[in-house]
Amino acid sequence: MTIGLAHYLTVAAILFTIGVFGIFVNRKNVIIIMMSIELILLAVNINLVAFSAFLHDVVGQIYAMFVLTVAAAEAAVGLAILVTYFRNRGDIAVDGASMMKG
Amino acid sequence: MGGIAYSNNPLIWSLLTLGQILLIVVIVLITVAFVILADRKIWAAVQWRKGPNVVGPFGLLQSFADLLKFVLKELVIPSGADKFVFLLAPVISVVFSFAAWAVMPFAPGWVISNLNVGVLYLLAISSLGVYGIIMGGWASNSKYPFLGALRSAAQMVSYEVSIGFILITVILLSGSMNLSTIVEQQNGGFWHWHAFALPTIVVMFPMSVMFFISFLAETNRPPFDLPEAESELVAGYQVEYSSTAYLLLMLAEYTNIVLMCCLISVLFFGGWHAPFPDDFIKTWPPIAAHLWALMWFVIKAMFWFFMVAMVKAIVPRYRYDQLMRLGWKVFLPASLVGVVLVAAWRVFGAQG
Amino acid sequence: MQAVAFYILALVSVAAAFLVITAKNPVHSVLYLITVFFSAAGLFVLLGAEFLAMLLVVVYVGAVAVLFLFVVMMLDVDFAQFREGFARYLPLGGVVGAVLLTEIILVAMTVAHTGAAAKNALPMASAPGVSNTEAIGQVLYTDYFYLFQASGLVLLVAMIGAIVLTLRHRPGVRRQNIAKQVARTPKTGMTIVQIKPGEGVSE
Repeated sequence: MTIGLAHYLTVAAILFTIGVFGIFVNRKNVIIIMMSIELILLAVNINLVAFSAFLHDVVGQIYAMFVLTVAAAEAAVGLAILVTYFRNRGDIAVDGASMMKG
Repeated sequence: MGGIAYSNNPLIWSLLTLGQILLIVVIVLITVAFVILADRKIWAAVQWRKGPNVVGPFGLLQSFADLLKFVLKELVIPSGADKFVFLLAPVISVVFSFAAWAVMPFAPGWVISNLNVGVLYLLAISSLGVYGIIMGGWASNSKYPFLGALRSAAQMVSYEVSIGFILITVILLSGSMNLSTIVEQQNGGFWHWHAFALPTIVVMFPMSVMFFISFLAETNRPPFDLPEAESELVAGYQVEYSSTAYLLLMLAEYTNIVLMCCLISVLFFGGWHAPFPDDFIKTWPPIAAHLWALMWFVIKAMFWFFMVAMVKAIVPRYRYDQLMRLGWKVFLPASLVGVVLVAAWRVFGAQG
Repeated sequence: MQAVAFYILALVSVAAAFLVITAKNPVHSVLYLITVFFSAAGLFVLLGAEFLAMLLVVVYVGAVAVLFLFVVMMLDVDFAQFREGFARYLPLGGVVGAVLLTEIILVAMTVAHTGAAAKNALPMASAPGVSNTEAIGQVLYTDYFYLFQASGLVLLVAMIGAIVLTLRHRPGVRRQNIAKQVARTPKTGMTIVQIKPGEGVSE
C-alpha cells in the first residue's frame, strides 16, 4: 500500500506523545527530561518535513533546519547548566534547587 | 557499478547490489591486511631494520598469521563491564568504517551508491565513528580506557570541524557534493587537480596539506596517537579488549585510514585521472579505460598511505594540549579563512 | 518496497523511543535515542529530503548525542533513586498521553485526508530537475537569509554560554607559548662557558 501523509503524521504523533510521557514519569531525572525534549523536537521535525514533501514546498525543510539548530543549541546550554549544577552541589537532584539552604 | 549492473526488478537489483558490496568488502579487507604489513615494513625501513619477514616470503603472510592469532585467543570480558555495550563498540566501529566505502568512486561509474550528498554522507559516517570509541572506553569499566576514550573522542570531534570546513572548500570549487562529479571535474592532467589548479593553488594546496594532517588526527594516527600510545595511557580505549574484539577495532582503524587515503586522492588529487591528459584512452574499449582509471586510483591511494606511514616513522608524538591547540587555534581559523577565500573566488573570480 | 522500509523504520523509532524513557541505565537511554535519530533520518530519506537526513545524522547523532553521552558518563550518578517516581506518575501520565495521542491523530487524519496536502499522492521534497540540496539553497540564502543569520547568532550565543558556564581557570597551570619558544635565538637560549679541564661547572 502506498505510504501517505497520514502514516508519517501518525509516527510523529506517537513520538511526540512518548516524549511528553517521558517528561511526566521521569520528573526527577533531568537527563531523561532533556532527551524527551529532543524526542518532541524530532517529532515536530518529522511533521514539518512530511508536510513539506506532500505540499511540494521546500519551506518546511528550512523550518526543520532551524528547529534542528535551536535544538542543538538548547541541548548544549542545558547540559552546561547541568554540569555546573553538578559541580556546585555534587548530585543532579534538581528538585533541591528550590531550597535556599546550602 | 551503479551504471553497469542495473535492473528494475527489486530482487535482482538487491542481489546485484549485495554482490557489489561483498566484492568491495573483500577487496578492502585484503587491502587492509597488506596495508598493515606495509605500515610495519615502511616503519622498519626508516629505522634501518627489516620488519616482519618470517611468515611467508618477505613476510607477506604476516597479517594472516596475526588474524589467526587474534581469532584463536580467549575473549576476556572485564567483570563489571556492560557486556552488551562492550561487545557492541567494536562492531559499531567496523560497521561505520565499512559503510563509508559505499560512496567511494574507484573508476568512472564504479561506485556502489552514487549519492548526491556523498560528501555529507562521509562527514556523517566519520561523526559516527566516535561512538565506537566512547562506548568501548566506557564499557570497559576502568579508569584508563575511559580517560583514553574521552580524550580520543574529543580529539576526533575537534579535527572533524576543520575537515568539514576543508570539505566545504572542495564543494565550493566543484559545485557538487557528489564524489563522482568532483572527480570528473579534475579531468585534464596534473594542473587541473583541485590541489594544483591555478590560481586557486595558493589556497587549495595548503587546504590539502591541512586535510592530510587533520585526517591523521581524526583516525588517531601518529603523531596524534596520544590516547592510544602505550607509554602514556596503556593503549587507551583498547586496553581491555582482546582477541576478536581487538581485531575488529584494529580493522576499523586501518579501514578508516585507507578510506581517508582514497578520499584525499579523490577530493584533491584527481581521483582516477592520470597526471597527464589521457584522452587517448577514449579510443580504448571501455573495460580497458576503466582499468586504467582504477590503476591510477590505486596508485594514488597507496602513495598517500606511504606518506601516512612515513609520518608515523618520522614525526614525534604531539602532547594532548598541543594537539588540541593545533586543532582549534590553528586549523580552524586557517580552514575558515580558506572557505572565505574560495567563496570569494567563486563569486568574484573567473567563473563569475 | 517503500512500504516495507517505512514500516521497519517507523517501528524501530517508536520502540526505541519507548525504550529511551524506560531504560534503567542512562547510557542505554542515550544509545536508544541515537537509534531513534537514525530511524528518523531514514524516514527523511524516504520522503526525499536527503540533505536534511544527513544533517540530522551529523548534528543530532554526531554532536548532540555525543554531548549527552559525555555528560551521562562523566556525572556518574546513582540513578536508582530516580526510578521511584516512575510508578507514581505512570497512571496519570498514561491517561494524559493517551488523550494527547488521540487528539493529535484525529487532527492528523483530518488534515491528511481533506487538507491542501491531500491532493498530492506522492512525496516529492523538491522539484524534479533540482536536487534537494540545491532546492534548499535556492530558498535559504534568498528569502530566509535573515533567519539564517539569526540561527548563526543563536549558535554563537549558545557556544559562548556553554563555555562561560563551564570554564574554570585553575590557578598555577603552566602554559606553553609556542611563538615565544620558536622565536628563541642562540643568544637568549644558551650561554657559552669556558671550563678549565678538571673543574666542573659551578653555578
